[in-house]
Amino acid sequence: MAVAPTKYVLRSYVRRSRITDVNRAQQPGLRRPNDPPVLILTSLATGPKHGHALSKDISEFAGVALGPGALYGAITRLEERGLIEPVGTEGRRRPYRITASGTAALAEVVGEMRRIADVGALRLGLPLSGRFA
Amino acid sequence: MLRWYPASWRHRYGDELVALMADTLNGEDPSPKLRISIAWAGLRERVREAGLLGTTKPAAERIFAGAIAVLCAWMAFLLAGGRFAKYSEHFEQAVPRTSRVISVDAYNTVAAAAVLGGVLVLIGAVVALPSFVRFLRSGGWPSVRRHFRRALGISAVTGLALAGLAPEAHSLTPAQRNGGSFIYSVAFGAIVVLVSTSLVLWTVVAVAATRRLELTRRVLTTEIAMAALVSGTMVVMTGATATWWATVASSAPWFLQSTRSGSTASVFEPQLAATMSLMLVATVAALVGMRRAARSWREFRAG
Repeated sequence: MAVAPTKYVLRSYVRRSRITDVNRAQQPGLRRPNDPPVLILTSLATGPKHGHALSKDISEFAGVALGPGALYGAITRLEERGLIEPVGTEGRRRPYRITASGTAALAEVVGEMRRIADVGALRLGLPLSGRFA
Repeated sequence: MLRWYPASWRHRYGDELVALMADTLNGEDPSPKLRISIAWAGLRERVREAGLLGTTKPAAERIFAGAIAVLCAWMAFLLAGGRFAKYSEHFEQAVPRTSRVISVDAYNTVAAAAVLGGVLVLIGAVVALPSFVRFLRSGGWPSVRRHFRRALGISAVTGLALAGLAPEAHSLTPAQRNGGSFIYSVAFGAIVVLVSTSLVLWTVVAVAATRRLELTRRVLTTEIAMAALVSGTMVVMTGATATWWATVASSAPWFLQSTRSGSTASVFEPQLAATMSLMLVATVAALVGMRRAARSWREFRAG
């Protein structure tokens, strides 16, 4: 498959970014890969977890140590927006799971990150992993 | 550590957060860094709960939160303004006649803007009065009673202290009133603390009451207009105070240091700098509150 010229890719990316900026405005906190909400949604994509399990998992896959305050601040926002929901209780611990809206929001953010990664890879001459591959 | 968070948040997430910290700390004491991060996160939740952060609260609540931020900023500005009024007493006599115009104009601008701001705050209060009466009639008094009694108690003590000090002040010379009498200075300092505390406590009463009011669209529109105008007066007063300082510093720096007329003196005066800083902080807080209200207003108007 012929690789699209960088100029075209960038123009196309900018156009799409404008569209996703509107969507992102409805989902504040889902902007950068290391934003706590993105990390939490990514972690919950593999199944329900409580606070400590989330913290450990995020530390393992992202190398980010989320403090309890930041973690629960993000959990509060995600639950308010209906992107995650509690699943019963385990003593004082409460596991959370990702909702359908949460999955959709995460898919959108991951798609956008992949597009940026592809543009970067294209510029650096690295193998592409996303839609331009 | 959970006391940093609002009660509603603690009720919903408190146990989970405690469990997470217990799991994370594994029996060790929380580090200062962890304590600070929890305090910061808790304060953020409080600010969110007040409607000053995030978009989870309805637009009307966010608008009103912005207006309340302006009110709080105004109260802080009053403290700075009171200090400025005391500091600038009789400055006209110290400034040479030839360079008096700008400093006098700047001072008069501060005074006029202060009166205008006070009137606007009063209009805002009067407009919200029917809603407040409805709130009291619907059984809202217990939710503000504690704050009200506390503010009233401190105000009564302040009034008595003022009544006791006023005759004493009249019997003193201007030099004694301005630092010459140690006892008077201490008593005056105590009065300043009492007046400031009263002001803060009445602000708490106003915030506690207004947060629970249900305002009509018309009242909300008026409140946001008043808040915008009050913010404007604060900007004007801050600018005029800075102008006053600059002109007095260039023409009569000895006045700023209370030294002999015509002597060489530094133009920097810590008390005036602190007053100016408080004015600036309050003005910025008011503008932030206004920005919040204005942004939410567009959403509110769109329905």
